[in-house]
Amino acid sequence: MMFRQQLQHELVKLFARKRTYIGFGAFAALQVLILLLLQLPKAKQAFTKLLSTNGYLPEDYYAGLTLAMLIIEFTIFLMGALYLALVAGDVVAKEVEDGTMRMVLARPVSRVRLLATKWLACALYTGVLMVFLGLTSMAAGVIYRGRLGQLFVFVPHENVFGVFPTADGVVRYAAAIGLLAVTMQVITALAFMFSCFRMKPAAATILTLTVMFTDFVLRNVPYFQSFQKYFITYHTSSWLRIYHDVIPWWSIGESIVYLMALGATFWIIGAMAFCSRDFKS
Amino acid sequence: MISIRQASKRFGERVAVDDLSLEVPRGVIFGLLGHNGAGKSTTIGMLLAQVLPDAGELRINGCDVFADRATALARVGAIFETPAFYDYLSGWRNLRIFCEYTAPAEAERMHEIVKLVGLEDRIHDRVSVYSHGMRQRLALAQALLPNPELLILDEPGDGLDPEGIHEMRNLILRLNRDWGLTILFSSHLLSEVQQLCTKLAVMREGRLLFSGDWRELGADRHWLRVRVDRQAEAERALLASGLVDELAYDSRARLAQQADVPAVAAWLVAHGYRVEAVHPIERTLEDFYLETIHGSGCLR
Repeated sequence: MMFRQQLQHELVKLFARKRTYIGFGAFAALQVLILLLLQLPKAKQAFTKLLSTNGYLPEDYYAGLTLAMLIIEFTIFLMGALYLALVAGDVVAKEVEDGTMRMVLARPVSRVRLLATKWLACALYTGVLMVFLGLTSMAAGVIYRGRLGQLFVFVPHENVFGVFPTADGVVRYAAAIGLLAVTMQVITALAFMFSCFRMKPAAATILTLTVMFTDFVLRNVPYFQSFQKYFITYHTSSWLRIYHDVIPWWSIGESIVYLMALGATFWIIGAMAFCSRDFKS
Repeated sequence: MISIRQASKRFGERVAVDDLSLEVPRGVIFGLLGHNGAGKSTTIGMLLAQVLPDAGELRINGCDVFADRATALARVGAIFETPAFYDYLSGWRNLRIFCEYTAPAEAERMHEIVKLVGLEDRIHDRVSVYSHGMRQRLALAQALLPNPELLILDEPGDGLDPEGIHEMRNLILRLNRDWGLTILFSSHLLSEVQQLCTKLAVMREGRLLFSGDWRELGADRHWLRVRVDRQAEAERALLASGLVDELAYDSRARLAQQADVPAVAAWLVAHGYRVEAVHPIERTLEDFYLETIHGSGCLR
């Protein structure tokens, strides 16, 4: 009962802050920007050329579903990492900085329980942001083209080239968003872990982005191809595998287990740091 | 109510609290005095399990604050020198949040406490628009909401105007007298501590210098102020006469065991000094504090 109330308060705190909505606003703005840029003749040309050279009718695929997928594909890594790190990196460190953590810790609540409610609130935020991104991208695409259309997905670095009829496309798109909400939890957990250490909120955010970008850069160095499966970004991209003709469930499951284990490790390290800290003015 | 046994804490090379043992009995307003860096806030931090001690044992109501934090802190309210709140939320929401880390908040009890601290007209405003005094009142409200037996106040008067300090003092006295709360009160304002506390502890550089009833210590020492025409000569003569056994700044002298103020006045007149004033001086907490901190005569 008390845990539920405490979680509810954490959500109230999280969603009462303007900073929480920056991610939602930024994604919405970016969706509009991408759609505007796709209006440019050269962009349109490149897109139609890709489809027509592969024997598909661009008119069938240049519609809501495909545009939604395009928006998410190009925005999620940079923007997703940034806004998740911004919120999760803030959640403990900011309270310590503001002094409210000391007020809370004068209460008979255990530090682990306190962290658990905060982390759960962040996890929910991650899910909500991803679902928001999925729904608004689709809405933007549909409004822009007036129909859902068929789904065309092309992600060279993941060896994904897929075309799906509308019904199958919607199901795969929904599953991809669900997977995205799960895989992105690792970025939230990483930022949350840094937030538990003695550092400024901005430092926790920057450290998280540094880790993610370094991971991404190293993963793309050809010499490290054989270590692919050790990189976080390899596993966070697993949501794209839902667009393979035959869905590689085993590989997706493997990535999810890897990310969950990593997330749990981040959580435990963060909790250990938090529980061994002194809180003093 | 509070029992601290041989508690020590270091921050790097600096010793913040050194082998501190302290007992605070139930039902008193207990003062914790010391300079900045004396270890007061660290002691309070350890009591609230916010600062992890290197050694020692800290108990509230017989419960170890680290081994049984939930029970030990269940009936404790605390205020810090700069009360921090979620500024973007209302005072009411803040109260709910803080209170429900202890127990479910009942609206009736919340209204009662809000009224007690005088915030009923502004409790639904955002805390960001509160003045410092209002924040202190809100801090007091959140401390009182879990229905505490022990209230820990760390520099609660800091930043308050004289009227605010007066209100805070009266409220503390009421809480102790009418609600029977035990209050641990840390402050730099000696006059406040003097008006509120009989029992206190004095700390310096992490060590406990004194603990107990400050009025009892040295109560047999009577001081007087002597103002005469030839001041320096008169003071030396008084000392030589044996009527006083110690001289101090600002025309002060300590009466010898058998002497009294009329005897000193009569002696001065008899020896041809023109007396402007001879009167006893009430010993203040400031005198006591300085004496304790500096290790010898407070009036020196």
